[in-house]
Formats: sequence, structure tokens, C-alpha cells
Amino acid sequence: MPVVRMSAFERFPWRRVILVSLSIFIGIFVVYGSWKTLTLPEGERYSGAAWLDFVILGIAQGAILALIALGYTLVYGILRMINFAHGEIFMVGAFASYFFADAYLKSGYLNRHPVSALGILFLTAITTSVAVALLLERVAYRPLRNSPRLVPLITAIGASLFLQSAVRGFFGTATRGYPKPDVLTGTWTIFGIEIARIEVLVFVVSVAAMIVLQLFVSRTKTGKSMRAVAEDSEIASLMGIDVDRVVVTTFAIGGALAGIAGVLFALSFEQVNFYMGFRPGIAAFTAAVLGGIGSIGGAALGGFALGLLQSVGPALLLTGIGVPSPFQLKDVVTFAVLVLVLIFRPGGLLGSGGAEKV
Amino acid sequence: MPIGRLVRAGLVGGIGVIFVSLVGLMARISEINLIGTQVTGAYAFLALVPFAAAYISVRPRVVAGRLEELTAGRSVSFGAVTGLAAGGLVAASLLFTSWYGVERIREVFIEVTQELIDVLSFGQSAIVGASILVLGGLLLGAAGGGFRTLAPEARKVLATAISATLLMGLLQRIIPIAMLQLGLDPDWMYDPISSGLTWVGAAVTFFVALGAAWLWARRGRAARETLRTMTREQPGTRVVVGLVMIAILATIPWLVGSVISEVLGAVMVFMLLGLGLNIVVGYAGLLDLGYVAFFGFGAYATALLTGATLNTTTGSAAPALSLHLNFYVALPIVVLLAAGVGLLIGAPVLRLRGDYLAIVTLGLGEIVSILIGSNWLKPLVGGPQGMRNITDASIAGFSFRDPQHFYYLSLAFVLLAAFVSLRLSGSRIGRAWNAMREDEQVADAMGISTTRYKLLAFAIGGAVGSLGGALLAVRIGSLTPASFVILVSITALAVVILGGMGSIPGVIVGALVLIGLPGLLREFEEYRLLIYGAALISIMILRPQGLIPNVRRSRELHEEDRSQDKWAGDLAADEDTAASLSPLGEGSG
Repeated sequence: MPVVRMSAFERFPWRRVILVSLSIFIGIFVVYGSWKTLTLPEGERYSGAAWLDFVILGIAQGAILALIALGYTLVYGILRMINFAHGEIFMVGAFASYFFADAYLKSGYLNRHPVSALGILFLTAITTSVAVALLLERVAYRPLRNSPRLVPLITAIGASLFLQSAVRGFFGTATRGYPKPDVLTGTWTIFGIEIARIEVLVFVVSVAAMIVLQLFVSRTKTGKSMRAVAEDSEIASLMGIDVDRVVVTTFAIGGALAGIAGVLFALSFEQVNFYMGFRPGIAAFTAAVLGGIGSIGGAALGGFALGLLQSVGPALLLTGIGVPSPFQLKDVVTFAVLVLVLIFRPGGLLGSGGAEKV
Repeated sequence: MPIGRLVRAGLVGGIGVIFVSLVGLMARISEINLIGTQVTGAYAFLALVPFAAAYISVRPRVVAGRLEELTAGRSVSFGAVTGLAAGGLVAASLLFTSWYGVERIREVFIEVTQELIDVLSFGQSAIVGASILVLGGLLLGAAGGGFRTLAPEARKVLATAISATLLMGLLQRIIPIAMLQLGLDPDWMYDPISSGLTWVGAAVTFFVALGAAWLWARRGRAARETLRTMTREQPGTRVVVGLVMIAILATIPWLVGSVISEVLGAVMVFMLLGLGLNIVVGYAGLLDLGYVAFFGFGAYATALLTGATLNTTTGSAAPALSLHLNFYVALPIVVLLAAGVGLLIGAPVLRLRGDYLAIVTLGLGEIVSILIGSNWLKPLVGGPQGMRNITDASIAGFSFRDPQHFYYLSLAFVLLAAFVSLRLSGSRIGRAWNAMREDEQVADAMGISTTRYKLLAFAIGGAVGSLGGALLAVRIGSLTPASFVILVSITALAVVILGGMGSIPGVIVGALVLIGLPGLLREFEEYRLLIYGAALISIMILRPQGLIPNVRRSRELHEEDRSQDKWAGDLAADEDTAASLSPLGEGSG
């Protein structure tokens, strides 16, 4: 744990006491919970295959989280603001592609030409998410660019609520089944491990998107100006970089990644509803913070780490101590990780641990 | 003629109408009769849009550093262009819909029904309806532009009178009941069949409001001054004013009847939450998005301390822990415990600033609401099914279960919280919060222990929030996890933001508008989150200090608006507020 220098400690010593006892408590809890789970009597215990399933599921979920987390991290890097409505941008993309998916299922196109159909689904989702992200930036965030930091956060919360209830008003409250092409049902055996085909797709598409993003940011001129603005937007604008354009590009990229994540999420859970963006949105934000917000590699790492924690954590920590239906508490794990990372290492796993940044 | 700008303003208005139609709000507000059966909420909204769009599009602009106003003729013609664009867009979409087929659009947008088309086409055929929309847009736009040319005072008086009439129409479920209770005959004013204002009632309201606004514009300042000197110089008047206020507050439940009292009960619970959150957000400047944690804690702790049963599939069961204390014995314990929880939550997260603090508190709040509904804590708090038979908070046999009685209990709580907030704001603590909110480093350097004051804000805010929870627990005597979701935190935040951060009257008005209006007009109930979202965005952009700003706070927020152009823009914006204050403007968001 990094040494944190803070004058307030002298005046308020029990803050440290609380922190230390909290970490000891958590340590004991983690060790005790996992030990109990792993030593459950035969029959009640999870088999090795079950654990493997948890890990694979965690990686697939983590890939989706990482894609959403990249949107948070990019915007935070450029504007130092938490785009609270990003989860809703993800949801909007998934919802828009649903209508095409549904129509293609009915016309049979989805199963006849699954590749081109999926391509169109991705395109629809990307277009919609990008459009909504840009609209949001223009209407809700740009007028407040120079306000105190809490102001855009409050608008972002408002925007999240607004988008969610607008979608609810447009399309209704019902959860709709998202069709999946037959090609993606069943499993593939890779390195002797049976993996659900959809999970392979999720992993391949997400990693490809992340690689493209990394290349874009590091190799292209626009990417360079993004990095410059993230470093210092004032100086960047003096150097002739159009900051507004960079901000718009950033929101567009974030939106596109959210759109891709939306389709992948909808395909893996085979459903969409107006509320689907909220929890994944917060989880993805947690992933971004976990990896170190503002860093692209950090968001990717944080996404996979949180995905694993979400799928393995509840089973490992809670089953043994007799908590019924541990997966109900999946999001408790998420939020606990979020809180703990921010308390103990606000810079994230890859960050410098700098307290003053926060 | 800056045609692009005018058309754009009109199109934005038109998109607003289409949006409101697509989410289904248009069909819903068309069921509200404001005046007679002719002026429904939908028609009032349809008329307001081109009018307001035109009014805004012809506002004075800064040209070469000077505020330039348009001539009367230009105002009217420019306004007409804007109105035409707004009406034209709506008309075009109407024609498109009827050509493409309502049923086919409905496969995607479920709210596009024949009923909606009938509203938009005024019950005529699509072509006739579209022509009415275009023509009406043109005329109303011209009227909106013309309205701008009136003297500012006349504008204010007229806008007040129109808003007052619409407001009286909206309050159709309160005023007639109150009139009946007072022994007056409401039938001349409210039509018993359409339940809206009668035309006579509307005319009377309009002219009375017009006269009152005109008087106020001429004599208001003097009257206020007289009242102030009177209360200052003669302590007796103060007592009289206080007594009159108390008498009015005490008669409200009798006046409005049981149904409205129930709505008032919900309003008061959120008033309490708003007052508590106001201490944390408004005074100390710490954005707490997990406020629902205190609300939930207060409610469940009260239930456990006073005794309750768990809801189970087989009936009911006793919770794992249950004391049977009197409500008034349990209450101080709950409040103290909540303050302790505030300290515990606050201590580790204090080092975080601003937005990170917000997200961490959000996380903590979510943990609490997931745990409340989980199977794990089922033996204690009932899990998803919740608890019931919570002991009543009766005093000497006077039960508070009845909505009309509950009002008094909640009023006492709200008054207490308001009093505490009021005393805190001017105290040493309040000033320390103020300094801390404005600049933490400077406050620290001035010798204010920011850690201690942040903790104090969390503790006091938490205590007030738990009062809200306790109130909810005894209100109907049952609790479910559905009442303790993140939306509670966000609603409380919206109440504080809408009213104005740090302003106690603001919280009261915020709760009345955001909780009271949707409760009163069930048509809005489904759309309250949409309205909250729109309200949060537009308040932050247009009026960050809130409806009833705290004086010191609003100065602070406007510090950055000192450049000349901004200043001129503000001048124009200030004039718009009269119109935007009308409740219809809020509701139609």
C-alpha cells in the first residue's frame, strides 16, 4: 500500500485506525471465505470445470466492461469529467440494433447471412450510440465546460435519467428477447476447453476494437492531438489544436465502443431493456477507476479484472460462509471494489497512486 | 434576416413537440382539461412551443459588444418564421405518419397511436390538421415575437396572469375540494364534468391575477418594505404573522382532503430528505449520491426498534432482531445511530474530492440497497418482500396512519429539520462549511479542520435523512426494498438542485414541484424521471443557482460569468425566467 502523506492525519488519527482495521477485516474475510468455500464437503463444492466456466465467463464479461470503461476513461482523460450517462449510451446502441435484429430474424436474413447481419447490427448500434453521445456532448456538457466540476456531473446524472426514461417512453418497459444467430449457439473447443461461441465472439471483437483504438491513439494525428489535449488542453489549444474537435472525436470514439459493447452484451444475455445500461455502466466506471482512470491500458486491464472478480468473487467468497444466492451480491462486489480502490489506491492499478489527482 | 437561426429555433421547438409525442406524454396531457373541454394540456403545450420558441429567437443579441434589440415589425415577422418552422416540422411528421401508417410506426414507437394522431390533427383529417399546425405555428410565432416588443413590466404582468390561469387549471384536484370545505360552491369555477376550469372561472382567474400582478408591479416593492419595517419595529406583528402561518399550515389537511394529504405526506418525506441532503450538498459542497443509504437505514432501524413482522411467502414471521420500543424512544436512537453511520461512511472517503466522492457514495448507497433486498439479510429485514405491521407512532391513542393525521407528524419533522438547517447556516459551523465549499485549501489554511467539518456534515445530513426514513416506516407501516433505490438519492438531489443549493425555501418548493405535481396529476407519474432528468440538465445550464437561490451561493456560481457577452446574455435570460417559472414550463420539460 502506498504511503499517503496527508496533514489531516495528525488532527484525526482514527481515520488511519478505521482504514487499517477495514483492510484487516477485508483480508480476513477474503481468506476465510475462500478457505471455507474450497473446503466445502464433496458434492456441495464447485468442481474444477465450474471454476473454469466462471473464469471464462468473467473474461467475456470483462471484455464488454473494458469496452465501456474505455469510453469513461477517454472522456475523463480529456475533460476530467465523469460521463455518468455513458451506460445509457451503451443501452441506446443495444436497443437500436434490436429492431434490426428482430426484423432480420423474422425475414430469415439473420441465419442466412449471419456475418453481414451482425455487421449491420454493429453498424446500427455504433451509429446510434455515436449520435446520442455527440448530442449529449453538444446539449448537456459543452455549455458547462468551464463550470465547477460538480456541475457537469449533475447534468450527466440528469442526462442518464433522461435517456433512460426517454427510451422507456419510446419503446415501453418490457424486456425484449434479442435474437442470436444459430451460428453463435453451442460451443467451440479451443485448446481442449469448451467455450461458448458467443464468448469467443465477445472476446475477439472486444480485443480487436481495443487494438484498433490503441493504434488510433498512438499512431494517427488525431490520436496525437487527443493525447495533447489530455495532457493540457490550454497549451494544446495554443499549439493550434482545435480542442472542441478533439472533444467531439473523443465522445464519438467512446460512443462507438459503447455501441459495440451494447450489441455484444445483448447477444450474450439475449435481451434488451431500458434499464440495462445502469449497472454495467457503473461497473465499467469501476473498471476504469480500478485500472487507473485516464489510461487506456488501465481501462482494459480494469475491465478484465473486474469481470473476473464479478464472476469468481461471489462464488469464492460467499458460498462457503453460507450466504444464500451469492450472485445476487455480484454488484456488491463491484461497488466494494470501487470504494476500496478509491480509498486505498485512488490512482488505480496502473496509476501513480497520487492522491491529489482525485 | 438571420433565417438560419430563426428556423433552427423553430425546429428545436418542433423536435420538442415530436419528442413529447413519441414518449407518450402528449397523449397523457391531452386528457387534462385545463379550461372547459377545449383547452387541454396538449393544446396548451402545442400553443406554448411556437410562442416560446419565437419569443426566445427574437431576444436582444450582442452585436459588436452592444445589446441590440429588434424593431417591432422585425420581431413579429422573425417570430412568425420561427413559429412556422416549428409548426411545419410537426405538420410534416404528422403527414408522414399518416402516409406511412400508424400501425407500422407503432411497431417501434409504441406510443404512436391513433389517439395521438387525433390530438395532433385536432380531430380533423391529417391534411386539415397539418394546415392548422402550420397556420397556428405562424400566428403564435408572430404573437411570441410581438410579445417581446411589449414593455418588460407589461410582459411580466401578462405572463403571470397566463401562468396563474394555467396553474389554477392544473390544480383542479385541490381547489374545488378546498372550496367545498370552505362552504363555497366550486361549480361556477370548475366544470364538474370536464373537471377543468370553466370559461367564466378562467376569465375571473385571469383578470384577478392580472390585477394582482399589476398592483404588485406598481406597489410590490413598497408593500414589502412596509411589511419588513413593521416586523422589525413591532415584535407583535411578527408573532401575528407566525400564528397566521401556523394556522394556515394546520388547516391544510382538512382543506385538501384525504387523497391530497397522502400526496403531501410523500412530499414531506422528500422535503426532509432534501433538507438533509441540502446540508451535505448545499452547505458543505459534498456531492452525496448515496443518500438513500441513510433513508433506508432510518426506515429499517425504526422498524426493527419499534417492532414489525417480516413478509414471507407463507405469511409473516418475526425478524431475527426486534425490540418493542415506543416510536419516540426509538427515534433518538435511530438518529444517533445514523449520525454514527455517517461518520463511519464519511471517515474513509473524506480524502476524495468532488466527483470521486460522488461516485463512492453512490457505490455505498447501492451496496445498502442491494443488501436490503438480498436473500442474505432476509431473516433480518425480509429481503425482497420487506416488512409490515410496523408499530404505529401514535401519541395517546392519536394514530398517525391516517394521511390527514400523518401530515402533522411529518410537518413537525420538517419544521424541526428546517429549523436546524436555518440555525446551522448562520452558525460558526455553517460558515466553516461555506468557506470549505468555496475553497478547501484556503479554508484549511485559515485553520478550519476540513476533515472534522466534512464529517460533521455527513453525520448531520445522515441524521436528517434517517428521520425521513423513520417517517416513511410509520407512514403506512410497511417497507419494501423498492422504496430504497438509487432513484431516491437522485430525486432528493433534484429537489435540492431545482430549489437552489443551500436554500431552505428552495428545498420546500423543489419538493412541492417535483414530488407534489406528479403526485397530483397522475398523468405525469410515469414521466417523473424524464422530467427530473430534464430539470437537472436545464437548471444546471440555465439557472445553476436554482429557483429560489441562496443569496451567497448564487453570487459564487456566477463568479465566472463576468465577461461582457455573458453579462448581456444574462440580462436577456433574466427576462425569460418569468415565463420559465410557470409550472407548465416545468412539466412539459
